[in-house]
Amino acid sequence: MRAAWLLGVLATMPGLVWGQSSQFGVRGLGFPGRGLNARVIASGGAFGLFDSESSLNPAALAGATALTSIFTASGAYRTVENPAGTASTRDTRFPLLMILGPVRQTGTALGVSYSGYTDRDFSIVSSGTLDLRGGAVGVTDTFTSRGGLSDLRAAGAYRIRDRWLLGAGLHVITGSNRVESRRSFEDSTFLSSVQRAEISFAGFGVSGGAIRQMGPRFAIAALVRSDGHVNVDRDSTRVATVDLPYTFGLGLRWQLAPKLGLATQAIVRTWSAANSDLVVQGGVGANNTFEVALGGEFTPDLQRPYSRPVRFGGRYGRLPFPLEPGTEAHEYAVSVGSGMRFAQQRAGADLGVEHVWRSEGVHSEHGFIFTLGISVRP
Amino acid sequence: MALAGAVLLGGCQEKLTSPGDCPALCPGGSPQVVDEILSPIIGADSSFVGYVKPQAAPALLVSNGLEGFEERAVMRFPPRSDSVGVRDTLRSYTVDSVAFGFTVLARDTLAPGLQLLVYRLPPFIDSTTSYAQLDPAFIPENLLLAVPIPDSLKTGTIRAVVQGSDLSRVALAPADSGVLSLGVRLDSPSFTGVRLGASAAGNGGVFLTYATVAIPDTGTAKLRTFPLTATFNTTLPAVPEVIDSTLLTVGGSPSARSLIRFEFPSRIRDSATVIRATLELTPVAPLTGLATDPVRIVARGILSDLGAKSPVESRFGVAVDSIPVGTSATEELEMVRLLQQVWIGESRPAGLVLSLTPDLESGSFSRPVFYSSRAADPAVRPRLRVSYLRSFPFENP
Repeated sequence: MRAAWLLGVLATMPGLVWGQSSQFGVRGLGFPGRGLNARVIASGGAFGLFDSESSLNPAALAGATALTSIFTASGAYRTVENPAGTASTRDTRFPLLMILGPVRQTGTALGVSYSGYTDRDFSIVSSGTLDLRGGAVGVTDTFTSRGGLSDLRAAGAYRIRDRWLLGAGLHVITGSNRVESRRSFEDSTFLSSVQRAEISFAGFGVSGGAIRQMGPRFAIAALVRSDGHVNVDRDSTRVATVDLPYTFGLGLRWQLAPKLGLATQAIVRTWSAANSDLVVQGGVGANNTFEVALGGEFTPDLQRPYSRPVRFGGRYGRLPFPLEPGTEAHEYAVSVGSGMRFAQQRAGADLGVEHVWRSEGVHSEHGFIFTLGISVRP
Repeated sequence: MALAGAVLLGGCQEKLTSPGDCPALCPGGSPQVVDEILSPIIGADSSFVGYVKPQAAPALLVSNGLEGFEERAVMRFPPRSDSVGVRDTLRSYTVDSVAFGFTVLARDTLAPGLQLLVYRLPPFIDSTTSYAQLDPAFIPENLLLAVPIPDSLKTGTIRAVVQGSDLSRVALAPADSGVLSLGVRLDSPSFTGVRLGASAAGNGGVFLTYATVAIPDTGTAKLRTFPLTATFNTTLPAVPEVIDSTLLTVGGSPSARSLIRFEFPSRIRDSATVIRATLELTPVAPLTGLATDPVRIVARGILSDLGAKSPVESRFGVAVDSIPVGTSATEELEMVRLLQQVWIGESRPAGLVLSLTPDLESGSFSRPVFYSSRAADPAVRPRLRVSYLRSFPFENP
């Protein structure tokens, strides 16, 4: 009861905290998604390479013990600051949908997931003055983007004598992005204008992963992924091809005590592969990214490990698409969360709360991201 | 947890707007506005006359020299029967009185002491009747009555009654088939004019007869009223108008319209967003007309270019502007909707027809005349100033 009360307080906090959509998703392909479940996010993402209910490492699928469906929703509340001013905005996302389950008596598991690859939801408003027909006319420009890229993954994993978990996945990277440029004038004799375009994306990728259980308390995980390139069509016309990164990940998990598990992971993405393609299209470019996370999970009651665990963690990362040439955005986050199972453990809910700080030169933002994961095991 | 989920998802409103710090946060940059002046096709603009005839005008013009010459209104009423049916029997009647009513649509409120002089004219007037033919009838002997226009009246109906011995002046002879025709002049201490209602607009002159029908069998008398509205009316100017087709004339009577054609660049038609379009017309002379009665000019796109008979788009894209009398300033007609909806949206020819608004065509003292593309001085030729946004260079992505 006390946990439910605490979770209720956590969930109502979004109403008290004011935030905004990330300004670091304005350039390039947008703000990268993570493909993580709520319980992994609560521990900073440190368990991502080991989590069967996240779409990061296909090898982790082999840890599935029952047919499971995952639904994740997140609400972000941030405050953004840049030389043009300060704003508070909020957004709601559904970053991960997943269905996975073991294939009986084969040691294999299969899963299909749909997660956000990059997010391009934002609105930018600026104002200024133009010299028109011999006079100064005030204008307000609004650039709006809706959509992004999604990662549709079909993956399988195989368990070898409880020591090795091997997995592979095929990824379809798809999505569309509706962009709109709107200009309005203070002088009503000038009509407001709206120009729109729809950008669609299509690409394919493959991933492979492994998890090695080294004794009862220690495990190591590795991930390799290649996303090839994505074709970019604007209003049904091919306009660009953008190379997508290779992803390399390495994770460690250590069961420090029966009630306390720790994990860390590092992920490198070679986003600089997209740099030249973005620059040719008039963009700023892209940088390689590095993300490291450290987190843990404390289980108060070993008899009921899914009842009120306490998850915590922190992470640091670089963002791939700078706002200005020659710069790089950084991201820090600390997180906490918990979860529960009910209906004879056939259903569960996990909540993670992240406090995030991001910055790049004079641009910065901070805020909270609340992530709720629902899992059902029919 | 359920409560947490409900609260989280219940707050699904989005607020994504951030302050724009350009160029860092402006992918694709800012929209580029271009201001361009388009000239009409040289020699392809002209005036055409005869769209609204004076007898179909929505107003009758009466002046005592406002334009340097006199204008008179004439009207013909339908035949008034010399008997009336009572209980299946036609009976004669006795006229007690008659009344005339006129609707004042516009006048110079600063010109006091106006009165309408109503004359009786030969009964059979029509559209072929000229000012010179009827001028001999405007003599004191034919003056029926003078109808004062109150100085306080800006618009409205004025009425005059004829009764007693004066009724003989409006008696309808069988030889005239019971038809009454009237002529109206303006009497004023100063040169001015009045616009009167016309039958085409449903507010033309009214001829009202009040009569008594005696019924011998019963020894009673019944009062009857015979209202008649003019079935023909027109304005007769002392000096016929002359239209110079090398200039752009709008209005007059019969009404003139001007057709202007432009070369509309495909770079604007196909890929630009027009945000303002102003047609600039240089008047040949200061606009004359009835003070305090501005003229409204209208530009409409053409559906197809058939010269003088080009059908116009009247449903949308219509640009209207009001021009005050006495002005000699360049007329600036905002017509961005015409470009957006007719030229670009409907892919119609890049032409437009200038006219007065329907309530003024052939019914206004003002007749704006503008220089055309044939003017020797390029500075006074019509021009279309177009402000537009180039296609926004959205980044890919």
